[in-house]
Amino acid sequence: MAKKLQYRRLLALGMLLVLVFAGLGYRLVDLQVLQHTELQAKAENLTKHIDRLEPRRGNILDIKGNLLATSVFVKTICANPSLIGNRYEDVAHILAPLLQTNETELAQRLFPRTRLDKGRAVPIQYVMLKQKVPAEVWEKIQAAMLTLSAGPDDKKLSSAERTFIENLRKSAVYTEPQDDQLRTYPNQRLAAHVLGYLGSVERTNDGVRSVEVEGVAGIESELNDKLTGVGGFRVTERNGRQQELVALREEDVEPRDGLNVVLTIDSVIQHIVESALAEGLAKHSPESISAMVIRPRTGEILAMATLPDFDPNAPGSTGGSPDAWCNRLISNPAEPGSTFKIVVVSGGLNEGVVTLDQQFDCENGDFLFAGRHLHDHERYGILSVKSIITKSSNIGAAKIGIAMGEDRLYDYIRAFGFGDRTGIPLPGESRGIVHPVNKWTKVSIAQLPMGQGIAVTPLQMVMAMSAVANDGVLMRPMLVDRLQDEDGNTVVKYQPQQVRRVITEETVRKMVEALKTVVTPDGTAANAALEHYTVAGKTGTAQKTDGKQYLDKFYSSFTGFFPADNPEICIYVALDDPKGVHYGGQVAAPIFKEIAEKAATYLNIRPDRDPEPDAQGKIAAAAPDLVSKAMAVRTQ
Amino acid sequence: MSRQRKNQSTAIRPGPALKAVLICGFIVVCCVGYVWEKQQINVLAEQYGKREARLRELRNQNDKLKRQLAALLSPAQLDLRVKELKLGLGPPQPTQIWWLPEPADRQAASRSELTYAAGSPRLGMVQ
Repeated sequence: MAKKLQYRRLLALGMLLVLVFAGLGYRLVDLQVLQHTELQAKAENLTKHIDRLEPRRGNILDIKGNLLATSVFVKTICANPSLIGNRYEDVAHILAPLLQTNETELAQRLFPRTRLDKGRAVPIQYVMLKQKVPAEVWEKIQAAMLTLSAGPDDKKLSSAERTFIENLRKSAVYTEPQDDQLRTYPNQRLAAHVLGYLGSVERTNDGVRSVEVEGVAGIESELNDKLTGVGGFRVTERNGRQQELVALREEDVEPRDGLNVVLTIDSVIQHIVESALAEGLAKHSPESISAMVIRPRTGEILAMATLPDFDPNAPGSTGGSPDAWCNRLISNPAEPGSTFKIVVVSGGLNEGVVTLDQQFDCENGDFLFAGRHLHDHERYGILSVKSIITKSSNIGAAKIGIAMGEDRLYDYIRAFGFGDRTGIPLPGESRGIVHPVNKWTKVSIAQLPMGQGIAVTPLQMVMAMSAVANDGVLMRPMLVDRLQDEDGNTVVKYQPQQVRRVITEETVRKMVEALKTVVTPDGTAANAALEHYTVAGKTGTAQKTDGKQYLDKFYSSFTGFFPADNPEICIYVALDDPKGVHYGGQVAAPIFKEIAEKAATYLNIRPDRDPEPDAQGKIAAAAPDLVSKAMAVRTQ
Repeated sequence: MSRQRKNQSTAIRPGPALKAVLICGFIVVCCVGYVWEKQQINVLAEQYGKREARLRELRNQNDKLKRQLAALLSPAQLDLRVKELKLGLGPPQPTQIWWLPEPADRQAASRSELTYAAGSPRLGMVQ
């Protein structure tokens, strides 16, 4: 009987055990099989992290390798108010001067708060304090937090208080694991319109919104893809302190940094140009003042500047002038005025319609054509084609245009590149306004040769003048010399590109002969003459229009190149609405001269003119002295 | 069976014992090797992490120095320093430069051989 009872008990126990094991087995299957995917994802979520590795944005350098734009890795400073407790005012007092923020505001943000999560009050553990903080400042913050006082007698602290202080000093203020990038421009405003700046752009990808930083102007925008690089990622695990367990890294794909962009810009010439423009701005108070320096043989742009400008380090603070962001040299087409005469005279000479010595009656400064009176700024009688350039006669140029005919004039306008974008690698380039012949009025044939009824960008104008300087071949403007990888190896090298031949070398010779006379005392730009170089150039003074009528405002310019017979550089200077005197020869030519003299010295351009006799005397006295001194030093 | 056991010698046979020792030794060596290898992986990972951090730090320092150099070499900065120090420095005038004769330039390539980005020369007037 007893044995039977024992068996029953044993059976019951056995069944209980079977049930327990069956339950456990079911749970095991449930966890390991049925919920496997979900739980694995949860487990991985707790330990595994996918770190996005940010590629470093490429630098922008000038032709000599000087840094124009670079990126710095910076921190995002955060705090855990729950670890700060009632010491929020002390922490704010320490952090405020380092973060350059208001102490009271900072204290309010550090004040411990809670948020509701599924009906429960959860302490807030994340407050972002400041973005884009340099690493050096973060080091100072760490050092400052370690000095935080524990109270009058820290030896009497309880273990809980000690833990609180330790957490406060070491963990309460921290940084985001991913570093951010800050774009800096060490030369501040230098070449701001060429470099451009970065901005935040919001994107939506598969319904996920993200804010990305990318170039929004200048080279930063145009070559954004090359500069950005390709991001990497790392699948890794972290411990409880959020430190990476390097041994448990699974995938590690290094980011590929962006390429460095080497511009044709020379920062010294750029500085020379910007300094000269700043002086011109102070002297003539124009709405804007612009200049460009180009090597006509290659189309390389050595300097490109327009004032007012902006600091790309803080592009938002333009001093209230949104126009400061605009690169007027490529974006603002305007009537060029008399500089455009080079097109009609080149065309006329090239076609054999006129010769340099052919004479035209300039009607004593008043020429009635197609019911419109055309005027010269002075009363000229008979002028040769050469003198038409020298004196900048509108009537003379109009008559050459009439002699050429509409179709041929239009062909030359287009051949010189007007009406087309030059192809400069900058965003926002305008193609200007060149009406086709069938939309011309009767007076257009006489207006166009004097630079009216057409809108061109300064870049188009300087490229046209460069074509004359380059034996008649129009070049594509070159702003980027090469792309380099982070080790300085050239990845892409850009070559000068010829667009087309516009005029013959013989025509060029004649044009240069005429353009040289512009800077003589008889010409309109005697102020542009250089002591050691022969200059060929052309002034322009265009009356501004509001679209309906001409205003009492002027667009004054001078474009010239030197040495005239073997041109090294071509310089364009323009002032938009100068106050007081307004002729190109009076306001733009002196600025041209200042830029030219300094640039020639810097570029070591060989003089092609004998210096003035007294100056020569000085050389004769000074040079042997220098040589003898040098010899004396060597013999010593 | 029991009879046979009684007849067996109580002495340990060296062959199987050696085998057992070898197997145990192999297992122990494997275990120790595994632990040693894991430890080495951890040590190397730690060193790797430290070196990565050091490399990052050096790159940041390098960048910082590059920025400093760029700021010091900026033409505006140099201009300012020259004016501040009143050194009387300035670019040489063309008259202060001695020009040495250069060999004659090579003849430029014939224009007719050149290609143009915008297609053939326009206007049909120049060759």
